[in-house]
Amino acid sequence: MRRYKYQISNCKTAFIITVLLGIFATAHTASATLTAKANHDHIEVNFFYHGSTVSVSGITDPGTELIIKIASPEGHESLKQKGKVGGILWMNVGTLKFEHVPNLYSIHSTRKLEEMLEQKELDRFVIGLPALNRHAELNPSSGEDEKTKWFGEFVKYKESSKLYASSSGRIEMKEKDGKQSYYINTEWPYQAPPGDYLVTVYAVKNGKVVETAEAKVNVEQVGLVKTLAGMAKNNAVLYGLISIISALGAGFGVGLVFKKGGGAH
Amino acid sequence: MYLYLPVALTSINVLIPVGLGLAVGLLSGLFGVGGGFLMTPLLIMFGIPSTVAAATDSNQIVAASTSGTYAHWKVGNVDFKMGLHLLIGGFIGGLFGVQAIKVLNAMGNADFVIKMTYVLMLGIVGTYMFIESLSSMRKKKVQEEKVQERESGFSRFLKTLPFQTEYVKSGVTHSMLLPLIFGGFVGVLAAIMGVGGGFLMVPVMVYILRMPMHVVVGTSLFQILFNCIEVTFLQAYTNHNVDFILAVLLLLGSTIGAQIGAVFGRKLKGEQLKIILAVIVLVVTVKIVFELTLSPSLLLAQAGGH
Repeated sequence: MRRYKYQISNCKTAFIITVLLGIFATAHTASATLTAKANHDHIEVNFFYHGSTVSVSGITDPGTELIIKIASPEGHESLKQKGKVGGILWMNVGTLKFEHVPNLYSIHSTRKLEEMLEQKELDRFVIGLPALNRHAELNPSSGEDEKTKWFGEFVKYKESSKLYASSSGRIEMKEKDGKQSYYINTEWPYQAPPGDYLVTVYAVKNGKVVETAEAKVNVEQVGLVKTLAGMAKNNAVLYGLISIISALGAGFGVGLVFKKGGGAH
Repeated sequence: MYLYLPVALTSINVLIPVGLGLAVGLLSGLFGVGGGFLMTPLLIMFGIPSTVAAATDSNQIVAASTSGTYAHWKVGNVDFKMGLHLLIGGFIGGLFGVQAIKVLNAMGNADFVIKMTYVLMLGIVGTYMFIESLSSMRKKKVQEEKVQERESGFSRFLKTLPFQTEYVKSGVTHSMLLPLIFGGFVGVLAAIMGVGGGFLMVPVMVYILRMPMHVVVGTSLFQILFNCIEVTFLQAYTNHNVDFILAVLLLLGSTIGAQIGAVFGRKLKGEQLKIILAVIVLVVTVKIVFELTLSPSLLLAQAGGH
């Protein structure tokens, strides 16, 4: 059996940069009215967890449009690459390493991203999949076309487990007392592993990001799920023995129950 | 009802693993295979990471094969001596197989060799078993005479080997070297392909060791049990990939399935068992050939597994 390591490292630096960019963007705006709040900032993963919903809401200046980005800290991911061998057979032909990519990335905007911001501005805040493609690194890579192609495959892979998502026009806006409130309800996939996630709301006016606000979502295992997950990692010998003994016990137990039915020959 | 799996880090409808366990356990009790060649791809299809699928499957096979061995042992269909000798051979073969994978990985074409070995082995074993059991079902009397003639030449050679010993339960006398060598051969291939190897061990016992089919099934389950205990422990210890909750859900179905399979198997003749197993092996071969030739929907996959 071949063994590989599957790693998503928490990239703290990238997180700090994102926060600093946020502060920078906030600092040079005159009126800091944008607020962001996630209704579920702490998601508990228990036995019956089957995903959740996270709604993001807040207040923004009238006349601004919004982009909401929910992402995990950037990391790297190594994936097996399939290709054709001898022109007919699909096989694993190597490993591709994607760097500076978040494990979870979802973008919701009031309009289509490219109608709201120019590429330069999208790239600056890494908003949208094309911007993430330009931001990410691929190893080994033989040129931009190849990188774009495999990044596309990476997005498909992520979308298949609901970790990457995007929408436009789903953010509800309401004006009241000269302020504008917004609200969006998003599905939180059960495939998203425990960890910290950052919600960033960008207020956009005249093709520029004029303000940002942030909220956090924390996903944590609790109870027996946490105990078992911890034991599998930190107490592997005991965990392995318990798994084997339970299986042996179950096998014998069922064998005894079936004694009458199975004895005749 | 959905349950969250703490190691697989995903949520699954409990009916899926219980149902899969029941179906694969049934095959296990009937044919003496672990069923990893069916279970692991099915678990991956239902969203379990490939590494967790393989490791957890070996944990549930411990339960299914205990249940199955127990059921077959009650009616005297387990040859412990033969099982032990095959196990020793298989263990040594496994060590060689792991080294072979290291060499293949270093050469850079591991995946090609593994896939080809797998397809060829499944295809050859399935075809041979299918043709042999079909012809023996058709003209049973003629076949028996022929087999005896052929056997005399083959067994004369085997009689010349040292360490002759009687395997009472199987009703055969062989050199101890025979199960050791062929157990080792299966062990090498199983380690390379990353499977338990039940589908290879069963034909070896039937066609080379000339054991009766019903004893083959019980003895195969006995040696699968010990293989899977070892694999489960190594997976839990080195890779932390065994999902206890998923294993429990699977074994709820597979332990019962193995009992039903064992009872049902007694109602079938050896040839009938062989031909059904041959068909299953051939269906899996065709499925793998399709997978190899049709364009996959995703060109990237999580590292690990096949």
